[in-house]
Amino acid sequence: MFEKKWFSLLILITLIFAAGNPSVLAAQSPKKFPFKEKDALDEWQEKVFRGRVLYSVKAHEDDSYLVAYSDNTASGIFYQIRFDPKQLPMISWKWKVLEFPKKGKPGVGKGGWIEQDDYAARLYVIFPKLSFNLTKSLEYVWDKSLPVGTIKESPYSKNIKIIVIESGSRNINKWVQEKRNIYEDYVSAFGRKPGKVGAIAIMTDTDNTSSTAEAHYDELKVRYKDESE
Amino acid sequence: MNLNKRKAKFIGTALQNKTLILVFVAAVVPTTIIALCLYYLIFNMLAWQLGIPEAIAYNLVPVARKVNLIILIALPVTLFVIWFMALELSHRIAGPLYRLEKEINERIEGKKSGPIQLREKDELKALADKINKLIIK
Repeated sequence: MFEKKWFSLLILITLIFAAGNPSVLAAQSPKKFPFKEKDALDEWQEKVFRGRVLYSVKAHEDDSYLVAYSDNTASGIFYQIRFDPKQLPMISWKWKVLEFPKKGKPGVGKGGWIEQDDYAARLYVIFPKLSFNLTKSLEYVWDKSLPVGTIKESPYSKNIKIIVIESGSRNINKWVQEKRNIYEDYVSAFGRKPGKVGAIAIMTDTDNTSSTAEAHYDELKVRYKDESE
Repeated sequence: MNLNKRKAKFIGTALQNKTLILVFVAAVVPTTIIALCLYYLIFNMLAWQLGIPEAIAYNLVPVARKVNLIILIALPVTLFVIWFMALELSHRIAGPLYRLEKEINERIEGKKSGPIQLREKDELKALADKINKLIIK
């Protein structure tokens, strides 16, 4: 009788937990963000760091995409999504840079670590932990000068790793397709296996360089397995 | 009879030890649980609200560090105050019981006579009065 009561309680707690986390019950299918409709950003949350970046969806008949324009500002759009990157490690998107933030030379004038921390385009994958100060983040960036393959620590925190996946202005004004394995990138950046992904975010920022930048994003797809592997 | 304030707050009886530990634990455990829950909830909710990792690192982490420092300084003081209050409370309960037992023993052995007197702030004065009535009968 005693065991039955506790078993029922356990079932009840599990159901309550599952009801609060639809992802537990729902099969984890790929999540796509085609940015086709004007209201495509309704499911995203705006997170302002220093001033608002203008995020909008340009929806044309033949083409649609997300536009980010920053004028001495830093804010991102944030989407909560929980999945295991070990099971579903892939993320892909395409992006286009129209204008890079104007950075000084490293170490000269406005060339300090934080003063350099502006990117025309960046995409975050956030790995929340029990305590916020243990939360880790990967940032995929398109930088004008840092070489592709650079993995560096953010000047703000050792829990943020920046991975340069596009470099230079050779492809400026051109759509560039990206596809990353989150699990492998996390292991390369932090040297350990990742926990669950809790959110993704997009940011174009120019607050540290007091300049302007513009980037477009499209066809973001996350939480899937690479069938070609 | 000297009814001045007792010099030693800790008389070391089993009852006082138990009362002291019980009061201390009863005060510290719920307080710690509530404080940890509040700390966790406030900072984690703020972190989710900020969202952008750089914003968390720049705005929230320094605040959390200051709060941690304040907790580190305040915690020993708070624990000492709770311990002192628990000691005072345990003393007020265990002290009169110890005294009652001692006074009754002295009257049984014929070393003393007359009513038992407790100190002004002692608990169990009603019980002492009833024992005194029994002695007078």
